[in-house]
Amino acid sequence: MKVDNSLPLEYSTEENNLKILGFWIFIGAEIMLFATLFTAYFTLENRTGNGPTGAEIFEITPVLIETILLLTSSFTIGLAIHAMRLNRKKAMMGFFTITLILGTAFLGVEIYEFTHYVHVGAGLQTSAFTAALLTTLGTHGLHVTLGLFWGLFILLQIKKRGLTPETANKSFIFSLYWHFLDIIWIFIFSFIYLKGMM
Amino acid sequence: MKELFPLKQVMGFAFSLVLTVVALMVYFTDMSYTMGMTVLLITAFIQAGLQVVVFMHAGETKDKRSIYVNIYYALLIALITIFGTLLVLVWDM
Amino acid sequence: MDFFDRFAVPHPSFLIYAAMVGIGLTMLAVVVGITYFKKWGYLWREWITTVDHKRIGIMYLLTALLMLFRGGVDAIMMRYQLAMPENTFLDSQHYNEVFTTHGVVMILFMAMPFIIFFFNFLVPLQIGARDVAFPRLNALSFWLFFMGMGLFNLSFIIGGSPDAGWTSYFPLAGNEFSTSVGTNYYMIAIQIAGIGTLMTGINFITTILKMRAPGMTLMKMPMFTWSAFIANVIIVFAFPVLTVLLAMGTMDRLFGTNFFTTDNGGMDMLWANLFWVWGHPEVYILILPAFGLYSEIIPTFARRNLYGYKSMVASMVVISILSFVVWAHHFFTMGQGPLTNSIFSITTMAIAIPTGVKIFNWLFTLWKGKIQFTTPMLYSILFIPLFTLGGVTGVMLAMSAADYQYHNTMFLVAHFHNVIIPGVVYAMLAGMTFYWPKIFGFMLNEKLGKWTAWLLTVGFVLAFIPMYITGLDGQARRMYTYSESTGFSLLNMVSFIGAAIMAIAFALLVYNIYYSIRYSPRNIGSDPWDARSLEWSTHTPVPEYNFAITPQVASTQAFWDSKKNGHELFKGDIEKIHMPNNSGLPFIMSCMFFVFGFAMVFSIWPVVIVSLIGILACLVYRSFEQDHGRYISVEEIKETETRLRGAKNEGR
Repeated sequence: MKVDNSLPLEYSTEENNLKILGFWIFIGAEIMLFATLFTAYFTLENRTGNGPTGAEIFEITPVLIETILLLTSSFTIGLAIHAMRLNRKKAMMGFFTITLILGTAFLGVEIYEFTHYVHVGAGLQTSAFTAALLTTLGTHGLHVTLGLFWGLFILLQIKKRGLTPETANKSFIFSLYWHFLDIIWIFIFSFIYLKGMM
Repeated sequence: MKELFPLKQVMGFAFSLVLTVVALMVYFTDMSYTMGMTVLLITAFIQAGLQVVVFMHAGETKDKRSIYVNIYYALLIALITIFGTLLVLVWDM
Repeated sequence: MDFFDRFAVPHPSFLIYAAMVGIGLTMLAVVVGITYFKKWGYLWREWITTVDHKRIGIMYLLTALLMLFRGGVDAIMMRYQLAMPENTFLDSQHYNEVFTTHGVVMILFMAMPFIIFFFNFLVPLQIGARDVAFPRLNALSFWLFFMGMGLFNLSFIIGGSPDAGWTSYFPLAGNEFSTSVGTNYYMIAIQIAGIGTLMTGINFITTILKMRAPGMTLMKMPMFTWSAFIANVIIVFAFPVLTVLLAMGTMDRLFGTNFFTTDNGGMDMLWANLFWVWGHPEVYILILPAFGLYSEIIPTFARRNLYGYKSMVASMVVISILSFVVWAHHFFTMGQGPLTNSIFSITTMAIAIPTGVKIFNWLFTLWKGKIQFTTPMLYSILFIPLFTLGGVTGVMLAMSAADYQYHNTMFLVAHFHNVIIPGVVYAMLAGMTFYWPKIFGFMLNEKLGKWTAWLLTVGFVLAFIPMYITGLDGQARRMYTYSESTGFSLLNMVSFIGAAIMAIAFALLVYNIYYSIRYSPRNIGSDPWDARSLEWSTHTPVPEYNFAITPQVASTQAFWDSKKNGHELFKGDIEKIHMPNNSGLPFIMSCMFFVFGFAMVFSIWPVVIVSLIGILACLVYRSFEQDHGRYISVEEIKETETRLRGAKNEGR
């Protein structure tokens, strides 16, 4: 395999370049996936049937905690990639681990939030609004969950194999995914929660 | 230690926290719907752009053009889908 | 309901039992045959685990032909049912199932794999690449698609077929009105196939953007590659909509959510809306590669460069955006206001402009050309007037006020068959005939091929033009019968005769394949049509590495230039070539998706969980796997080249 040493590890082979561009295109598809969910949510937002409205069930505290957790994790995965480019394996793994811990914490708060909704009578079957809300949040949450496992496996591979063109490439692509999930969360935060509570 | 915290990314993070606080004004102060939506739209899109440029390194390779065209295209189709659907099913029904 | 009762077909009839026995016997014959000839190992090594884009392409082609037969049988049954008033050949339930599966099978399991076959086989060859960007993902795409197809066809014999139309509108498709598991099959089988298609899209965009031969700038790509590129862009941005839509539909049916129900705030119109947000781009996904194929065939047999290359590209780019802004024209009568309908009317009519540009470009390419009437060219020439007729009735339908008259009538059915058959099906048959020698090393018989084309055209005109008339007279689509007093009987009988002629044409195609396998000469060389782009510059059969030396390109017709203008395609020496390894993982993972899908359809939750764990285990395995591919040595390449060149020289 041809390795170009003038570039960062994650770009150093042709295959790596293909994977990074391919993943960007996948993100393009993901944008449409979430856009469709938002479309359904905005359409069904006020169709609450006999169930509660958004303003009645949203709570600012857990949402704020989730936002801070995810924003910070997006920052730390950025630092991990920066450390990787300096070839600082230990620091890179440290930032990577922090990212995964923050992600787990986010997921914990989200699970609390979901049980809260069910508790106050906003379950999946309650109304079109709750179905759209929980599906949109759930899809994002599912992405985070899959990301956590994926990240963990990459971390294990870096530990075992070190920073090679492959592990670096995987880490970089994981960072793209993680930042993307953060972007989606910003839109959820702004246009589902804040708009709903306004 | 310092080299592990590049200024660009630290500033990016600080800025995204500021944007979050600005967005929160919508909740904590008494704003009209239009005003609130304007604030949210501006803060959300700036934050998204920030992530793409600062953290995702979208512009660092020669695939820059493909990546940006891809994002803009996705964004265009996404907005068409959202607002077109709202037009059909909510605003003009 | 008793556990096993769910697996029974809810509305059995003699035809369904006969089909069950037929499918069972065929499966048995295939298994016995493979075992008898000891081909399991060969099948596993050479086909099931392959990551070679050419072989994956051929598997897509075989699936498409099989589904063409299945969808065709559905079509003939419908036409026979409607040939006479008050016919009792099919009852209403069975008719509903037949038109539903006809639509789904023809669009998603016939036309889609057919175009993906062309993507797979042609795009890497046209851009001078060794394979696609992600060969393993490509195999996964195929197997997911294949399993989705299998699951959908299983509905026919286990549990009952979907019966809510290929559009599956709610509330009809909801639990209240569709009580069998048929619609579950629809939701889940299409979901699995759709994920495969989405990955195809990502794969080919990356391939085309990153793996072109040196010198081939975007504006020097062959026109089919351009059309494939645009079609894949549309796939990537349209298919996620389908994914979400089907997931919401599945949740409504299995988990009791209220997205599309009629109470608790649910909105059935959201389904129709989002379905067409995906559905309209989908028709452009089908037609653009068809246009691409015509753009390859017409210059080859008119012996001229394609007229207006830049305007061809520009019109496709414009179509790729316009295709996303016209979806509401599928439901002008749903109740949205005149403002919305006017907007969507205008955008729809605007699509006629770039399409018209393409039609004129083909005509100008033909102008003063030395036209050779080969079979592929015959299809292309027949396509132009017939497709234009379909386009014109499309503009009629685009006028929202007038659409109130046409909506849900046979006029619409006539229109979309009029664009899909001369547009897509003719292109697929023309392309298949054109590329057959490249794929299999011998040509299809020209005489039989021309008979097929003419018969198909006569059949098509007889089958679909009468529908325009009965449609305007008020014959509704999807009605299983009508009374004699409506006066539709004569024209429907003509339609049936047309459909029968089309069936004969397809039978003739099958006979042609058989005849050509037996009698066609094999010494045809690598460029039997004297064609123009890179795929013809390598050997026939194409070696697994495609090109021993990466070609150098300087124009849109690189191979033509090398033949006529002394352009040197292959410079430099042979070097060792890096190739990906075969893998059984895509197949195994797709099998798990099949089990997962089946268990979801029947809500067998323990199996759902187990198969889901299996799928995740495959992903974990893939994450930890280290596979650096393999190298083909210089000696091996030289040996292959000498052997293939020898075969070619004999032919010359």
